[in-house]
Amino acid sequence: MFVKTIRILTKQYVELDVITPQVEAIVAESGVRNGMVTVMTKHTTTGITVNEALECLESDIEVALSLFAPEDRPYSHARMLKDYGSTAGNPTGHLKALLTGNHCHFLIQDGEIVRGGAQDVYFCEYDGPASRNILVMVEGQ
Amino acid sequence: MFIDIHVHPAFYEPINEDPAREDLRHDALDIHKNGTAPLEHIFNQMRCAGLDKLCLLPEDYSGSVGCLVSNEEIRKLVDLAPDKFIGFASVDPRDPEACEKLEDAFTRLNLKGLKLHPGRVHVMPADPMMEPIYAICEKYNKPILFHAGLSWEPDTLTAYCQPMAFEAVAAGHPSLRICLGHFGWPWVRETAMLMVKYPNVYTDTGALYFDNAKEFYTQMLTRDIPITWIDRSLRHQVMFGSNNPRFEQIRMAQAIQELGFRESTLELIMGKNAIEFLGGLD
Repeated sequence: MFVKTIRILTKQYVELDVITPQVEAIVAESGVRNGMVTVMTKHTTTGITVNEALECLESDIEVALSLFAPEDRPYSHARMLKDYGSTAGNPTGHLKALLTGNHCHFLIQDGEIVRGGAQDVYFCEYDGPASRNILVMVEGQ
Repeated sequence: MFIDIHVHPAFYEPINEDPAREDLRHDALDIHKNGTAPLEHIFNQMRCAGLDKLCLLPEDYSGSVGCLVSNEEIRKLVDLAPDKFIGFASVDPRDPEACEKLEDAFTRLNLKGLKLHPGRVHVMPADPMMEPIYAICEKYNKPILFHAGLSWEPDTLTAYCQPMAFEAVAAGHPSLRICLGHFGWPWVRETAMLMVKYPNVYTDTGALYFDNAKEFYTQMLTRDIPITWIDRSLRHQVMFGSNNPRFEQIRMAQAIQELGFRESTLELIMGKNAIEFLGGLD
């Protein structure tokens, strides 16, 4: 298995970043002609999702997620965490991460990722700004 | 001008080249799973919070676990972003060379004030051994930011940080500006009492021990004491501080602006009082 990490310094509290070009570059670097690629975030207040890369949809997604997990609710997660020695102020990030999940898969045929014309891979930040790591795993021959 | 007067840069990337030193800081501060932060991330965080400047506080406990963040490291960070960072000094009062180190920090390193944690070094603020240190601060017109109230750090005893322990210092050194950090929480009324009595006593808002930032600030700054106490009487002595990375700078910066203070009071809390406390920004 060929594994690489994409590192991102996010700049906003919530942001959606298209990472398709980085994933394609790692697939090409792997030399795998036929197989599968998995893109997986290493964090619990982020997501990986596949959608159409349009500004209007990005706005709608952010609004829909904020309706699902509004900032001003009395969340149980708002408390000091002894394991961290710091306050947990990111319940909305954890909840938004539920909806987008932590990974996606694509087939690889003839060295290319097989994806629909409207499909792009998004890294979703829900508790930024932060330093983030995304694993890209390429399997096959 | 929005200033965070209470920031600990222990995990800033430029001073964490040695993994053993980073490990020591995680253990000695009891802050974990946060990694180290490149300055670009710190600047992104400042932008999201609306902050213009951060006051960086070192931690010298050389009489016990060691010097966790040195005065030299603070100088290094300030030199990397002099428009964004204000640097403080720290000395361990138990160190026989404390006075020489403090003189050096104020003269050669040109640091803007002194950070002390009585609860960590187990020395009462009014202990006679502190007098030479206070004299140096008065000589150079430098303020002192004390840890006050609850401390989450290991090996800390709260009795050394109770606001009343600072009264003799405030009374005996009327020209020395002192900040009782974290609003002296949970002794918020005692901190308010000292501020209304002694104009040289300041405090900062670096407390978030329960709930979220908005909920905790609402309790601490509008219920434990009425909001009018700050808005009418203590408005020149309260400074915004986050105690980052222990607490959440962005959400605290937002919450302080949503409590209902007058706009002119907010301007004081968010920057003007810090400039006064520091003796100017130059």
